[in-house]
Amino acid sequence: MTPQKTALAQGFIRCHDCGCLSKQAEQNNHCPLCGGRLHPRLPNSFQRTAALLLSAFFLYIPANIFPIMTYTRLGVGEPHTIIGGIIALIQGDMVPVAILVLIASILVPLLKLLGIGLLLLNVHYRWQAHAKKWTMMYRIIAFVGRWSMLDIFMISILVSLVDMEGVAKVIAGPAATAFAAVVVLTMFAAKTFDPRLLWDKQG
Amino acid sequence: MFPANLMPLIGIKVLGTTKDGTLWSGVVMLVEEHMWGVAVLVFFSSILFPLLNIILSLLISSHLYFNRPNRHLAQWMRWLQHIDEWAMLEIYMLGIIVAGVKLASMAELHFSLGLYAFVALLIVTGMLASSLDKTLFWRHIGRLRQ
Repeated sequence: MTPQKTALAQGFIRCHDCGCLSKQAEQNNHCPLCGGRLHPRLPNSFQRTAALLLSAFFLYIPANIFPIMTYTRLGVGEPHTIIGGIIALIQGDMVPVAILVLIASILVPLLKLLGIGLLLLNVHYRWQAHAKKWTMMYRIIAFVGRWSMLDIFMISILVSLVDMEGVAKVIAGPAATAFAAVVVLTMFAAKTFDPRLLWDKQG
Repeated sequence: MFPANLMPLIGIKVLGTTKDGTLWSGVVMLVEEHMWGVAVLVFFSSILFPLLNIILSLLISSHLYFNRPNRHLAQWMRWLQHIDEWAMLEIYMLGIIVAGVKLASMAELHFSLGLYAFVALLIVTGMLASSLDKTLFWRHIGRLRQ
């Protein structure tokens, strides 16, 4: 890696929305091209990300403990947690789908929580090494986050399809709200984190 | 530019047929079960944002195509970029597949026309997203402004 001056060090600010570079001296806080607000870095990136991450972390616990849906068959209720649903899939010999759900609704949220946490620690303690790899990790986290919505969509489909009064019925459980909140909060956390912070402390 | 102009038209027609099918009824059922948060989230990410995405793309690209300056252009373009991440049709498709597999053992499934329309919409919005060149659009918007 050849150390080069950042745009900021040369007095430029890049617009978050349209990517237009403008000279810091002549900026009046608004981008000349699109009119968006100009910031050298995302404002309070560290604090906002940390707050969102912490709330997501605490919601992750009820999301896994409480049933995400209740499957009632002939009047007998059968609550399912996220893990319970995966086990049911494995027992039904549908291992590939079970793996898919396992990745989307357990591994991805967990790795996201840990990953963003590590990124924050990195910025806070100014670990200087491997900024390139950290940036790659950020990109993966930002890309992969929305796929956790899979479980939520699946429930909304099941709830509307399996609705035969007295015979079989699916009801969404309290964990669904918590899990949806975890997904949304971690998505916002990834969005408010400014990956350029990883590079600012270099050299 | 040209594909970005043509494609959304198909998408709107297609969404009309799927909306009164399963996409919408899932949201209604969630509301009936008092799962407001989840219902709103599903509604936004599977109906509202994909639709807004198409409408905004159509508005912006038609304005640029006919060289019509509009003071809202930059605003629309910014909205479009923010919405982009929250339209989750492809994930919904995966949800349909997983739900289908779960149900296959206990009920007979039949796929209606709406599903084909949904798949078509998915492909078209995917192509729209990949053919929309943001840098080009911003440059056009900047040029129209002067």
